[in-house]
Amino acid sequence: MYIIKRLFTMLVTIWVITTLTFIIMHSIPGDPFASDADVLPEEVLENMRAKFNLDEPMPVQYALYLKNLATLDLGPSIQSKTRDVNTLIADGFPASALLGIQSLVIALVFGLILGIIAALNRNGIIDYAAMAFAIIGISIPSFILAPLLIKYFAVDWGLLPVASWGTWLHTVLPSVALATAPLAIVARFMRSSMLEVMNQNYIKTADAKGLSTTGIVIKHGIRNALIPVISFIGPLAAFLLTGTFVIEKIFAIPGIGKYFVDSIFNRDYPVILGTTIFFSAILIITLFLVDISYRIVDPRIKLSSKGD
Amino acid sequence: MKKSLLMSLMMVLVIVPFLSACSGDEDASGDGEVAQEITVNASSEPPSLDPALATDTTSGWVIEHVFEGLYTKNKDGEVVPGLAEKMELSDDKKVYTITLRDAKWSNGDPVTAEDFEYSWKRILNPETGSSFAFYLYYLKGAEEYNKGKGSVDDVGVTAVDDKTLKVELNSPTGFFEKLLAFWSYYPVNKSVVEGNKNWVAEADTLVSNGAYKLSSWEHDNQLVAEKNDNYWDKENISMEKITWKMVNDATTYYQMYKSGELDLITSLPVDVIPQEEGNEDFKITPYFGTYMYMFNVDKEPFTNPKVRRAFNLAIDRASITENISQSGEKPAKAFVPYGVETPEGDFREQKEAYFEENVEEAKKLLEEAKQEEGWDELPAVELIYNTSENHKKIAEGVQEMLKQNLGVEVTLNNQEWKTYLDTTDQGNFQMARMGWIGIYVDPTPILDYYLGDSPNNRTNWVNEKYDSLMAKSKGIQDEAERMKVLHEAEDVLMEDLPFMPVYYYTNNYLTSTDYEGVVYPVNRYPNLRWAKKVSN
Repeated sequence: MYIIKRLFTMLVTIWVITTLTFIIMHSIPGDPFASDADVLPEEVLENMRAKFNLDEPMPVQYALYLKNLATLDLGPSIQSKTRDVNTLIADGFPASALLGIQSLVIALVFGLILGIIAALNRNGIIDYAAMAFAIIGISIPSFILAPLLIKYFAVDWGLLPVASWGTWLHTVLPSVALATAPLAIVARFMRSSMLEVMNQNYIKTADAKGLSTTGIVIKHGIRNALIPVISFIGPLAAFLLTGTFVIEKIFAIPGIGKYFVDSIFNRDYPVILGTTIFFSAILIITLFLVDISYRIVDPRIKLSSKGD
Repeated sequence: MKKSLLMSLMMVLVIVPFLSACSGDEDASGDGEVAQEITVNASSEPPSLDPALATDTTSGWVIEHVFEGLYTKNKDGEVVPGLAEKMELSDDKKVYTITLRDAKWSNGDPVTAEDFEYSWKRILNPETGSSFAFYLYYLKGAEEYNKGKGSVDDVGVTAVDDKTLKVELNSPTGFFEKLLAFWSYYPVNKSVVEGNKNWVAEADTLVSNGAYKLSSWEHDNQLVAEKNDNYWDKENISMEKITWKMVNDATTYYQMYKSGELDLITSLPVDVIPQEEGNEDFKITPYFGTYMYMFNVDKEPFTNPKVRRAFNLAIDRASITENISQSGEKPAKAFVPYGVETPEGDFREQKEAYFEENVEEAKKLLEEAKQEEGWDELPAVELIYNTSENHKKIAEGVQEMLKQNLGVEVTLNNQEWKTYLDTTDQGNFQMARMGWIGIYVDPTPILDYYLGDSPNNRTNWVNEKYDSLMAKSKGIQDEAERMKVLHEAEDVLMEDLPFMPVYYYTNNYLTSTDYEGVVYPVNRYPNLRWAKKVSN
């Protein structure tokens, strides 16, 4: 029952997002066929608009789009004259997702370790070093970090390729560049969450009972401290999996990140809608997975449809 | 903790086999002989490799290597027969009878006259939705058919037999051979296109007839073409394999060039040009286009021709190209760029400048205009441009010069590209930036820009004499005579100045010194078929 209700909410959410995106994108001035290179006779423009159903009244276009969406057909791309939106996403998502998963793993593994160590050494040198690193990681934007990584690791030291896609080595620098900011955020989250948990009475009780410190930290400390971090992982995973414009552009990654931005500049309506819907779907699914994992980490949380 | 550790471990286990699977394609090249391969940067995925649908030079770059038309260009940029073996022109100069040479598609099918008839009618078919169909309007009945007013049967192209194509034009067209070398006139394989509507989306279904055929296409990543063994002139093709990478970020592809991952790049980040200039591998070539500001002649103060001339005389173009744009551009004091060969030499060199920059003269003109119009002060002027760092710097330069030299305060405004096109199309501007590139190297595609009924002409400037001279030029067969009329047309345009030319574009290239024989056409990306790798 919970799952069914949840599924229904997901569909409604996607419908609302689709509708809003449809309205907003059509209210931006500009025409997908406008360009400086070939301003066309009106008759020819009509041929092209007809090809993409853009000659129909707005409500008809909207209904046609929903009808196709119901069959999971996201329509043709106006910009890419050869690949439709489904193909664009199918071609680009594996690359974006691979980088996303790698950077998510890097961010979580190192972020959690860093946060825990910092918390356990509160106000010690390790804590200060870890948090200094975290602040730098959060404040350096990826479009600065990425060229720096390229300059040292690829150009000066020749250890890794500059950019492009092909071997696993090509994925190292973009994954690191993508992971740095989330890693720092996870570390800071984990540190403050750990500090809070370690002050709780049940930890003191456990200590009083004579449990070993390692046992307390792993069994009671980390497990409880993870809950706020997990709620942050949902959106983070969605963002990382669907690629980022900046990293994909700098490292020439054949992912879908750039379509989120380019489609708007090109007024490529089906791609704007398609990428937005795809991102929403991924986000909704990861949020759902997060809810389930709460349940695993903290048995007190029940999955119920009450108040959902 | 145990569980999250386990999760991470599982993720690693899932990823690692995939990753090691991707890392095995190290290419061991043969020893001794130098492999004839080149890796260049296309910057982005070509939007379409279908000759009927391609509208951009990135697609055109690949298309011109993998397809070929009735005519093609040689190393010197001259238009020479490609698939056409023989072309005969009727006495009224309107009917061409073209005999095809023996040529094959990359799948082994013969290239037939029927393929051409099919291809040309296909691009003109309104349902194809081609935005370059108007380049075929020279054919009889083509415009009517494309605009939904005529029948496909009246289009002036017929396959008489397998090897003979009959083409009927509306009127004599002196530059028809140039058009035949343009990709919108290229053939596609009828049975392939009819058999698979997605034929052009992947390397293994794309059938072409040019010097190369696609061997792989990883979308948004790279495209590889190898020499086509079925090509009729394969003996003269030296480069065996071309890889187009799709790296969009200027700093990135520059660094890939520097680290040897790319052999040729077609532009450089502006800030490295000074340090690369003078190096052996650096090359600046003219590009067949003009950077300009359009005046809206229906909006004050540009209703008065003297104001337009005053603005033209008051800016220092050399200072803009040397200090602001810095890519070796040539200052423009006319519209048609350098690069058009005529019987009397380069079209532009015959008349390089229509005016000389002269601040005193400009001030005088502006005063006269104010008196004529009864203006105490010049009406406020706003200059708009599409958002870009380079356009901004140039606009600021122009703003400063107009202030210093004429005492005119110009306000600047910028808009994102598609919004900008919308604004200028509606004529909501006084002075607006624009660039124009000739799709083939002839004054016609440049000068057509300011025809009274051209949709490009956003200035509201309509001049009957100009329009009639342009129309007249299109019917002239004699090249010297045709150029003379085109010069006259440009004279009319430059007398009235509905725009302010700033500079002629250039292209900057870095080409590895390992290569020889790369050809740099003035309105296309480099032609690589005659290139040779001479060392590793």
